Amino acid sequence: MTVPRIQIRGLSKRLPSGNALLTVIDRIDLSIAPGEFVAVLGPSGSGKSTLLALMAGLDRPSEGEILLDGRPIQNLSEDDLALLRRRSIGFVFQSFQLLGNLTARENVLLPLELADIEGAAARADALLAAVGLSARGHHYPSQLSGGEQQRVALARAFAPEPAILLADEPTGNLDQATGRLVLDTLESLRRDSRATLVLVTHDPDVAGLADRRIHLRDGRIDREERRIAEPVA
Amino acid sequence: MRLSLASRLVAREARGASGKILFFVACLAVGVAAVVTVAGLSDGVDRGIRGEARRLLAADLAIRAERPIPSEAVRAVEALLAARPGSRRASVHEMATIVSAPGRDGTPGPSALALLKGAEEGYPFYGEIRTKPEQAARRALGPDEALVAPELASKLRIGEGDTLRIGGRDFVVRGEILSEPDTLRVGFSLAPRVLISFAGLGRTELEAFGSRVDRTMLVALAGRVDAREVETAARSVRRALPESSGVRVQTYADAQPALRDGLRRAARFLGLVALVSLILGGIGVSQAVRAWLATRVDAIAVLRCLGVRPGEVVALYTAEAALLGLAGSVAGIVAGIGMLAVAPRVLSGVLPDVPLSVWQPQAMLRGLALGTGIALAFSGPPLSAVRLVPPLRVLRREAEPLRPGGIAAILIALVLFAGVWGAASIQSGSHRIAAAFTVGIFVAAALLAGAGRLLMAGASRISGRRVRVMLRYGLAALVRPGAGTLTAVTSLGLGVLVVVALALVERGLVARLRAELPARSPNVFLVDMQTAQWADVQRILADAGATHVTGVPIVNARLVSIDGVPVAELVRRRSGGGRREWILTREQNLTYMDALPSDNVVVEGKLWSDPGRAEISIERDFARDMGASLGSKVVFDVQGVPQELIVTSLRTVDWKSFGVNFFLVVEPGVLDRAPQMRVAAARVPAGSEQPLQDRLAAEFPNVTLLKVREIVEKVAAILDRLGLAVRLVGGFAILAGIAILAGAVGATASRRGREVALLKTLGATRGGVVGVFFVEFALTGLVAGLVGTSGGCLLAWGVLTRAMELEWTWRPLVLVAAPLGTIALSVIAGIAASASALRKRPIEALRSF
Repeated sequence: MTVPRIQIRGLSKRLPSGNALLTVIDRIDLSIAPGEFVAVLGPSGSGKSTLLALMAGLDRPSEGEILLDGRPIQNLSEDDLALLRRRSIGFVFQSFQLLGNLTARENVLLPLELADIEGAAARADALLAAVGLSARGHHYPSQLSGGEQQRVALARAFAPEPAILLADEPTGNLDQATGRLVLDTLESLRRDSRATLVLVTHDPDVAGLADRRIHLRDGRIDREERRIAEPVA
Repeated sequence: MRLSLASRLVAREARGASGKILFFVACLAVGVAAVVTVAGLSDGVDRGIRGEARRLLAADLAIRAERPIPSEAVRAVEALLAARPGSRRASVHEMATIVSAPGRDGTPGPSALALLKGAEEGYPFYGEIRTKPEQAARRALGPDEALVAPELASKLRIGEGDTLRIGGRDFVVRGEILSEPDTLRVGFSLAPRVLISFAGLGRTELEAFGSRVDRTMLVALAGRVDAREVETAARSVRRALPESSGVRVQTYADAQPALRDGLRRAARFLGLVALVSLILGGIGVSQAVRAWLATRVDAIAVLRCLGVRPGEVVALYTAEAALLGLAGSVAGIVAGIGMLAVAPRVLSGVLPDVPLSVWQPQAMLRGLALGTGIALAFSGPPLSAVRLVPPLRVLRREAEPLRPGGIAAILIALVLFAGVWGAASIQSGSHRIAAAFTVGIFVAAALLAGAGRLLMAGASRISGRRVRVMLRYGLAALVRPGAGTLTAVTSLGLGVLVVVALALVERGLVARLRAELPARSPNVFLVDMQTAQWADVQRILADAGATHVTGVPIVNARLVSIDGVPVAELVRRRSGGGRREWILTREQNLTYMDALPSDNVVVEGKLWSDPGRAEISIERDFARDMGASLGSKVVFDVQGVPQELIVTSLRTVDWKSFGVNFFLVVEPGVLDRAPQMRVAAARVPAGSEQPLQDRLAAEFPNVTLLKVREIVEKVAAILDRLGLAVRLVGGFAILAGIAILAGAVGATASRRGREVALLKTLGATRGGVVGVFFVEFALTGLVAGLVGTSGGCLLAWGVLTRAMELEWTWRPLVLVAAPLGTIALSVIAGIAASASALRKRPIEALRSF
């Protein structure tokens, strides 16, 4: 049996809220296979982003286990988590989160440089070409439109060929047409890289592209839907 | 992370932060410039003195004594000359005496105190005497010729070819003496120079027994001799001398040890004053780093998401701070070089007259090290928070950086404390002084920060009440998040504190000097008087209307032993030399009297209480420094005759009474027949000091009259000039404070721009908005000014009353001017830094919402 890329067992997260503790994630069990595209849906406050943060090791669970490729990450040090993200996890955010003092090309180059990947410059240029921004590489984020910024963010996320890509409402700040273009780009890059994609959204159309849709409510998995019976391996 | 990537990241990180970088660099540069200027001047002058050492000694070797040079030394010098044919020697004798222009029609001519130098032919062996006219120095002076300092010539209204009377003999003035190789014109001379030949000095008969004469024998060794050979020669002379003879043998390589030591002390004090500016720069740096990091938190969270480790983030920003520290230091060094270029002109008369190079590598290195070190130490607190920026912030903006924990906060504080202490140790050369300085700075900063907090609390309370709208907004601005009120009050206040303290101490000293003498205090002293002349001098004093006339005998002697331990042994037991050795080996002035003057109080033992033995009464502190106590047996060599005395009383003396007082007073009857002179003091009516001096110069030319007022004015003038140097260095502290205030305002520029836009949109005029800013900056200046001035007063009070034992006087002008000046500076700097926000049209700022 194939080892799941992401496996979550009895995961809970509680956050202080006033004097009480608020349960944001409540005993979730979840297994995501390599190459699978999972969309996480749910209303605001249902715990979507927190689940994503826990998978990335950006936050620590209150209870439960998270295993990436069979290896538990909840007890790793901050340094080890950083190295894990550097090598294995790519991010796309709703608000793009490009570094404002770097050009588009430098933003794409950065994770490659951090991971010390050979031929970084050529790969950065190729990725910029793949997202249709070859001519805008020398521009700073403030000189790009929202859609262009998000495409640079996609190029950056896929640059070190991560096994896992986590996307938090990647089209949330974009108009419909631009959102569509960004999604197409995302899907095309994912297919090429065969990365596992976990995408948080509350747009059913976006979620419709996923192999599996997980609906969260009050920190729990409310229901799951599959587009096809088995994930693409 | 590879170094090349790290350096690329550091370079990229600096993009778009030019304003903050400029502020960071400016804050640091001001302090570094102060440090480099002080260290550079000190090193430069020291190097200048060492470079000119032969000229400044006018010889290779000098043997100095306050009495005739012992025959052993003379024989040793003769042996040296014999061993090195072509070597030469020349004697130079110096003394203070009154010289005069000849009188007319029975009235004495004008007279003046002068420093008389009689030099044998050959002097100076190195360097030259410059005169006006030039040819006056070309040939040796004849026995009846003199060169006089220009100020003396103008005072006595004499010129080339005129007659000058010295010790009752007439000399022809051959010209004016502009410079001597072995006198550094540092403005510290109390009387103008008169140069005559050795034969001329003999004619004056001023070297009568008992006169105070500094005697020097200069030696120039033949051929090209290096410092080692000269030291060997010096050692041969030292060996020939009896132990602890009080004779000093100097080589040119020693290069003015006393002057250089004095300069080093001055440099250490000024170095600490300069360090205050640098520490203020550090506070500015800390503020700049904090403001800069506040704008980088999101970027840091993204970096963390991309897999940059927490330690790497800290290293990245620490490297950034270090690089900026280096840049600020380099800018400060360049400014310091500029200051060094103009310093000789600004400080003429204060600095010794030696060539001064602006290229001072050691001072530059010091500026670089201290600047970068202080930048890093003060960046520590804000940088330490970088480690704690959660990557989660990319998803949840409310995830704020955590505060460093207890141990981390303590460690950061310790690093900061150690950094300031280390810098102060380098600047002062003393760990103890550095510790006191560091504690003082931290206490002052804490008090100022406390006052800043009070201001903010008060502002927040008042701004909620029904006060005028402008005042309300101004007060609210003080408490807005990131307003920088605390930093501005602390830094500006520290600058004010330093400047006020320096000004008050200087004024206190000068005022004490210039204060009216107590009504019964003498205002003239007469020295070098023969006992036989005393009766006639008393008559002249009475004619001049003098009151409170006192005259006491003075007997020169040398200490031989204390409680049977010879002086040589006592000197050996004391390490360090300096004053403690000098007290034992100096020419001692003894007097004898029946009853002590009223300003003396016996604090131990009883005066003249042992009928069986010869007694001595010693001033308490002097006895301690000598190592004598009640019951000690002290033996003096009274011009060849040993005299044993027992210490039967210790006294305190009120030196501020200006009376004629002695450390050593002997029982009457013991020294009555010893060779002696007389010293006297009197109070003469205002305006009669000069006629009295003129008449004495005519009738008793060997008697030297010292006018207290004239000497006080000279010392006050010197203090005034030294004060200029201190004020200049202190000024850097204010400059740094202003830079920080402007920086704090600049850091909130965009927020200010929006506020101005909103206020204007709501109908406020530009004047009205300026009014809001005025209230904010005036209050900041007021609190900084009041607390800084109070701290400055406290520090000055401590220095004047505790360290210098002077009285404290309130100076209303300083107390009013300092806070008002601070308000003015704060308002000007604050409004100038807000200029761009004020100029913006509302729509420009509102678009960026």
